[in-house]
Amino acid sequence: MSSAHTIRAIQDNIALVIKGKSHVIEMTVVCLLARGHLLLEDVPGVGKTTLAHSLARSLDCSFKRIQFTSDLLPSDIVGISMFNRQKQGFEFIPGPIFANIVLADEINRTTPKTQSSLLEAMSEAQISVDNQTHPLEQPFMVIATQNPAEYHGTFPLPESQLDRFLMRLCIGYPTLEEERKVLDRPHSLHPAETLEAVMSAHELLALQTRVDQVHMEESLTDYLLAIVQATRQSELLSLGVSTRGALALSKAAKALAVVRGRDYCLPDDIKELAPIVLSHRVMLNRTHGMRTQSFEQAERMVLDIVETVPVPV
Amino acid sequence: MPFDQAFALSSVLLATIAFSGLVLAQSVPLWLALPTAIILIVSLLHAGGVLFVRQALAKVSVSSTLWNFLLIGAFVVFLIDLTVISRDLLPAGIRFLVMLLCIKLLTLQQRRDYRHLYAISLMAILASGALTTDAWYVPIFLLYLLATVWTLLLYHLTQETAETPAVVIPTSKSARHTTFPSRVTHRFLWLTNGTAILTVALTVAIFFLIPRIGAGVLQKTSGEALRTTGFSDRVDLGTIGSVKQDPQIVMRVELPDQPVVEKDRLYLRGLAYDQYNGRSWSHSGTRRRSLSLVAEGTFLARPAGSRPPGSLSMPIRQDILLETLDTSVLFAAPFAELVNGEFLTIQADAMSGLHLPFLPSSRIRYSVTSQIPQLVADERTASVLAYSDSIRSHYLQVPMGSQQVADLAHRVTQQATTPFGQTLAIQQHLLENYRYSLEADTSTLSHPLEEFLFTRKTGYCEHYATAMVVMLRTIGIPARLVTGFLATEWNEYGGYFTVRQRDAHAWVEVYFPRSGWITMDPTPTASAAAATSRWDSLSRLGESFQLQWDRLFVRYSAKDQLAAVHGVREGGDALRERVSRWVSSLSTSISQVLNRLTHMTRAFQPGMLGLITGVVVVGLALLLLNLRDRIGLWATAHLPTSHPQLAIVQLYSRMLHTVEKHGVSKPSAATPNEFARLVEQEWKAAGPMVADVTALYHQGRFSRTPLTSDELSRAAKQVGRLQSLTHKAR
Repeated sequence: MSSAHTIRAIQDNIALVIKGKSHVIEMTVVCLLARGHLLLEDVPGVGKTTLAHSLARSLDCSFKRIQFTSDLLPSDIVGISMFNRQKQGFEFIPGPIFANIVLADEINRTTPKTQSSLLEAMSEAQISVDNQTHPLEQPFMVIATQNPAEYHGTFPLPESQLDRFLMRLCIGYPTLEEERKVLDRPHSLHPAETLEAVMSAHELLALQTRVDQVHMEESLTDYLLAIVQATRQSELLSLGVSTRGALALSKAAKALAVVRGRDYCLPDDIKELAPIVLSHRVMLNRTHGMRTQSFEQAERMVLDIVETVPVPV
Repeated sequence: MPFDQAFALSSVLLATIAFSGLVLAQSVPLWLALPTAIILIVSLLHAGGVLFVRQALAKVSVSSTLWNFLLIGAFVVFLIDLTVISRDLLPAGIRFLVMLLCIKLLTLQQRRDYRHLYAISLMAILASGALTTDAWYVPIFLLYLLATVWTLLLYHLTQETAETPAVVIPTSKSARHTTFPSRVTHRFLWLTNGTAILTVALTVAIFFLIPRIGAGVLQKTSGEALRTTGFSDRVDLGTIGSVKQDPQIVMRVELPDQPVVEKDRLYLRGLAYDQYNGRSWSHSGTRRRSLSLVAEGTFLARPAGSRPPGSLSMPIRQDILLETLDTSVLFAAPFAELVNGEFLTIQADAMSGLHLPFLPSSRIRYSVTSQIPQLVADERTASVLAYSDSIRSHYLQVPMGSQQVADLAHRVTQQATTPFGQTLAIQQHLLENYRYSLEADTSTLSHPLEEFLFTRKTGYCEHYATAMVVMLRTIGIPARLVTGFLATEWNEYGGYFTVRQRDAHAWVEVYFPRSGWITMDPTPTASAAAATSRWDSLSRLGESFQLQWDRLFVRYSAKDQLAAVHGVREGGDALRERVSRWVSSLSTSISQVLNRLTHMTRAFQPGMLGLITGVVVVGLALLLLNLRDRIGLWATAHLPTSHPQLAIVQLYSRMLHTVEKHGVSKPSAATPNEFARLVEQEWKAAGPMVADVTALYHQGRFSRTPLTSDELSRAAKQVGRLQSLTHKAR
């Protein structure tokens, strides 16, 4: 099966469960191919968990889900060294992080200490317990969800840690028609459980290597950097995009090119991805009357800024 | 050289050229020209990057208030100049312009100052053009044009460089190198100079083609007239000598009908004098008559009805271009028959001198047909001639106390038996026994003639001629003195005589009752040293060019245009006739074929005819459709196909331009895909082409594999289709 087919198949597969959210699904696949981690931020009950679940089911990969609560400890995630009486020594019992796809549900409900243990794993692709380093399996992807509406008893992620996520997505409510389709489905089983795997881990790794080979023309790099520069110089933002953010945009653009069946980037790739890749990496300027960091506001700001940057001809 | 420096240098150069135009037009006084020249040189050195000048100028800092005061001062000086001193707008304006130029040169800082400098230069070159008709204006103007093109190009280039924002989005590596050189290269020079030369060519075409009006708004009126001597009512003996060294050109005489061999010397008669008082010559009669008009612009010089003298030479036509002189005399070979020129009236005095009614204010052109009287054969041998009373009373007058001269005349002529022989003897005597010299200044002597004849025995034409006239008169032969020019300098390049101030001459006319006034010249010709070096020939070439310039450009008139158009039309008529003959011969054969065809079609049923017509129409339509696509193909002709990336970018830009003409322009932040969607919405017909070109553009511009030439030509075709769509939309 060719790579284009595989990519198509995985999207179609997820679409069997998540109705009418083809863009979100595409972006999820982009994130997967770019070796990135995904932050889903939306109100409860729009299918965040189901999306993560169906992605994992579509891949022939291991999948773990961690429900984050305020009393969750780091060891509950990464695992723990226990004394083995037979062997007379400590033995490392791997935690749920040792999987290909990890769903960190409601990541903002746990303490910063626990959050950071997860985030280390995300950036290093390895964990250290008791001076021992345990590499994580590849492919490895964390899909975190958080609920923006509820602030009571939450620990919002600081900007530096948000930076570790390649993109932040919002699923949004389905349309009336799509919602009807969801209701018409038989409820005996969790919908994601019915899915068949359409892509092996091996195929996924090969696709991820292909993303690295995508050609980004010099002027497009300049365009991307111009956007990043513009966020740093904008008066609307008090914090612009970091170099890691620029790197993330470039990687995501290349992955999108692969998803769309090209081996070269277009200006559209960059422009389309800029809001979802960059908006969680910037801080709005508080002097402009915006007291809270809202998802839509930040996205709109980035969109506005992108619209000021000329596209190379 | 970097652009900035080249820009400053060419700006100052422009001003320098314009200023030198003014100086060459002799309209800038020395006290103003010198400091301006110094300022220009310093500015040139400064702009050229000479280090110590820059350092020296950096130290001098003058406040802008002072400059403003200077400016106001210059304006006040201009007002005073205009109202009190020169009272003429042009010279006063030019002096003001030069002052402005100086001030601007010293305060060149902002781009605005440069623009002012260009405006001043333009006005200066226009003013010098209005003030001069000389040929040196051509090279100056060409230089000015070259410098203007350089300067304006550099002006825009430097401005664009300055205005480009900090975040540059270069198109591509190769494009960056080809389109944005930062220094003056050979290519740049070629381009600019090519533009300038093209402009000149166009201008020349326009000059000859656009109809013109004869009057100029700014014409040279304050020009100095050339000072001549010997053509006033009274001529002191010895005054011509003062101009004998002066090489200024007085006139140019063409002899259109004359064979070349006779062109060694030509007497151009000015005025004749009959009264001699021992020191100076004057006229006795001052009455003038107006010449009668025989045709438009043509005057008969002889009194109407008068009989021409007995024997005449072949008529000689002379086309004369007379510079502005301080006399109203018209010069012509003796004796003028017909005068043609744009004059309202011409007057003639009693001794056949031709006059304009007033002093000419500019150079004039006229042509004269003259017939030189020949001595009738029997008067050559007649021993006694009967003179009429009026001739006797006018032309036998001698000053008091001429006994000594009379004795000499009798002694010289005692061998001769006929009046003509006596005349020849006197001429011979003067030619052989006296030495020509310009140093003989006799104007202060009380008896210059006696001094010449008996004491110094050196003199020049006036002395010779006066001596001969007086001697002839003492032995009873009527004679008179004539002043004018003796043309000897033949310009073989232009085919004309150049007459200079130093060719001023005086000679003698001797009266014979039946032959009329015969020209005699007792002055030795050795004086005119015929030194023909290479330099002379070169200067004659330049001189001839000057005349051509004058004729072709300065004097080029609507009449000349008409003549040229007429010539072209005549040529065109001949051509058309030949073509029509050819066509008619062709058409007869075609009509034969057609006749046969109609015979054949009549034989067929009408349905067959319809079928044939249909096939032809469909074929034509297909051909036209194909051609419509071909229209776009011209676009590929100039594409840099060796750089497909550059080529597709150019095509894409062309497409953008085309669509923009239709009112859909691309926002700079829109990606090509977004733009294609926009076009799809706004201008549905163009949607497919734009989408196709956009796809090709994406592939050719951003992918690793360059477009093939087929794909390129497809894109070009689409752009061409789009262009033809725009034409149709109109």
